[in-house]
Amino acid sequence: MSSLTITDRDAAAGPVVEVTGDLDYTHAAALRRQVERLTLRPGQCLVIDLAGLRFCDSSGITALLAARQHALAAGADIALAAVPANTLRILTVIGLDRIFTLHPAASTA
Amino acid sequence: MCRTGQDPESSETEDEADTDALFIALLEDSAEELYESAPCGYLSTLMDGTIAKINATLLRWLGMEREAVVGRRRFTDLLTVGGKLYHETHFAPLLRMKGELSGIALEMKTADGGRLPVLVSSTVKHSGEGEPLLIRTTVFDASDRRTYEEELLHRKREAEQARAEAEQARAEAEEARRQAEADRVRLADALAVLQQSLLPASLPAAPGLETAVYYHTASPDRLGGDFYDLFPIDGARWGFFLGDVCGKGPEAAALTSLVRYTLRAAALHDPEPATALATLNAVLHERYAASGDVRYCTAIFGVVDTGSRPGHATVRLASGGHPSALILRAGGHAEFLPTPGGLLVGILPSAPATTAETVLEPGDTLLLYTDGLTEARTGPTHNSLYGEDALHAFATAHAPCTPQEAIGALSELLDSFGDGLDDDTALLALGVPAVPPHPLPATKHDR
Amino acid sequence: MENWVVMDICRRNNVTVTGRSDGPVVVLAHGFGCDQNMWRLIVPALTERYRVVLFDYVGSGGSELSAWSEDRYASLDGYAQDVVDVCDELDLERAVFVGHSVSAMIGVLAAQAAPERIGALVMVTPSPCYIDDDGYLGGFTAHDIDELLAALEANYLGWSSTMAPVIMGNPERPELGEELTNSFCATDPDIARVFARTTFLSDSRQDLKSVHVPTLVLECVQDVIAPREVGAFVHAAIPSSRLVSLDATGHCPQLSAPEATARAILDFLESL
Repeated sequence: MSSLTITDRDAAAGPVVEVTGDLDYTHAAALRRQVERLTLRPGQCLVIDLAGLRFCDSSGITALLAARQHALAAGADIALAAVPANTLRILTVIGLDRIFTLHPAASTA
Repeated sequence: MCRTGQDPESSETEDEADTDALFIALLEDSAEELYESAPCGYLSTLMDGTIAKINATLLRWLGMEREAVVGRRRFTDLLTVGGKLYHETHFAPLLRMKGELSGIALEMKTADGGRLPVLVSSTVKHSGEGEPLLIRTTVFDASDRRTYEEELLHRKREAEQARAEAEQARAEAEEARRQAEADRVRLADALAVLQQSLLPASLPAAPGLETAVYYHTASPDRLGGDFYDLFPIDGARWGFFLGDVCGKGPEAAALTSLVRYTLRAAALHDPEPATALATLNAVLHERYAASGDVRYCTAIFGVVDTGSRPGHATVRLASGGHPSALILRAGGHAEFLPTPGGLLVGILPSAPATTAETVLEPGDTLLLYTDGLTEARTGPTHNSLYGEDALHAFATAHAPCTPQEAIGALSELLDSFGDGLDDDTALLALGVPAVPPHPLPATKHDR
Repeated sequence: MENWVVMDICRRNNVTVTGRSDGPVVVLAHGFGCDQNMWRLIVPALTERYRVVLFDYVGSGGSELSAWSEDRYASLDGYAQDVVDVCDELDLERAVFVGHSVSAMIGVLAAQAAPERIGALVMVTPSPCYIDDDGYLGGFTAHDIDELLAALEANYLGWSSTMAPVIMGNPERPELGEELTNSFCATDPDIARVFARTTFLSDSRQDLKSVHVPTLVLECVQDVIAPREVGAFVHAAIPSSRLVSLDATGHCPQLSAPEATARAILDFLESL
């Protein structure tokens, strides 16, 4: 059974959203809703911390792209932190490694 | 036991006499008194129903004077009209046949216009010769019992009504269930038809090529988002594509439809693979991303040309964020045809797509697949992914093989994933026959 | 095949054939409320010279209750069809049809439907219409019929417990025999309700004009169900009829005055 936990906190550069579990068809919408609730100011950087991500399918990719759209619309930036190898491979295949700023860890974002 | 010296009889007889006297005194009742004041009505009629005798109790119940009744009224005159009808059609015939009846429910009319529910029992008194002489009837006030019985009947009718309603509700629920099942079947049929309209059930025959396709549906009631197609561009050139739109269901189906027709139209305009994908990217971005909706797809688009060298085919393809194609070579090995740097189609106003080219020799097979295959979860806990390396090894083990053989082996592989395969998966393979179907004419030697 | 059908109708309508097998045929038909046992005291007077056919309408007495349907038996035509069915199966020709109460009118309808089967009618305490109508005195109002239905209902609870022992045990009239109708007068209440409505709410006055066969109208001088005005009406409406008034009380002279009733019927039969 898949599961997903999402928490967010504020860091100096902007909000940090920690994703733990599975970003799949069942749970991806939760990330979209959570991110859409965030208020972003121009110049901030939204960091999605994927250190705890176990699985990501196309629904998860869609949620990440929606987060990107939400950030850009607010004049903010977006970065993915601690992307697991599996997901990084997928991001590379679909070219998103060049669309998202990637950081080894949330603290370096 | 012997009781000498005494007269045991005398004292006991005295006692009995005393008791009897007391008994009679207490009763203070004569047969006449008993008849008149009994707690039930008594009535004697001639055989034609004329009342010959009636007791005071019944007269009191009816509020009638003896003189107005005896010799002047018939039994049926005391009944309500419904009671009369019932008497004539049931009571009287039965009494004539049986000689007695008991406990028949009737209603009597009282002098003040009221109704008295009664239970009637009658006996026919016969003469010594067996001739019927008169009818003796007892009448019990049945107001309470009738109320009770009416309540019972009322409850019975209510219960019957409730049962009928329950049956009706059950029938309606059954009908609704049947309807829902019919709707579900119809929806599944419609979805299957729609899915088939999105996916050609069979590919057209392309001269000089062998092709095979397979589609695994993860869920029959949810339209999948994978797609493929093969279509002629001109004489020796065929366009083909395979991809995966984001999402599931009707929205994915609409997107799939848009992708398919856009790619076909774009290819007819300019078959260069990167250009076709760029057109698709522009269309999707304008249609969705520009208005805030995230819709995209991955796709490999290619053109295969069998015209340049007989028995060979040149393939040019471009990928937009799609896993690399795999080639199973006639020589018995497999290799990816890398298309790095391609981006998901539809998320940016313009997206780079990388083009790659290869030549298919006789016996070579090109395989396109969606990531349902490589992302299938394997292992005892479904925790690891099948992955590209395993696919490469699988392909190597099966090379060389025809497109049909490759698809056959892969569909078995997909089956073997069981629950680990939770996404739709599309496979498309095309290749050049190892042995040309029409062998070249034998070379003419000089004599 | 034909035999089978005969058996089927005979069983359906509990048909009894008795009397002189080569004699003229007399069909005895019961009315609402009872069954063919109604004729028990009359039958012995007829059997010496006549072939006597007795039956129960479907829904009454010993008939096949499974053959009953509200559709068919909510109109007198359904009962008349029972009569025609029985006549057809026994291949009766010009039989004398003796109908009691509502059966008198059922006989009129059956004679209309199958004139070759019925050669004469005996109408015992008939009434073509029980409800008073403009200038016609039937004796009842529609409300009275509702009261009868209520009385039927009121006795419904009694049928199983009270009536059954009475019907079963018959100490004083052993000649009636044990086989006498455990079902006599004890009809299924739902069926009885339909028969009661059909009987008492029908108006067959116009059908009397269709009667051209010799007809005997038997009335009682005291009958709350079919008053003498109604007997006179029926007699007047059928020119080929003869009216006999029995010095009897009630609606069932075949029980209350069996000798006089049998005598009147025999006189009529002998006159044919």
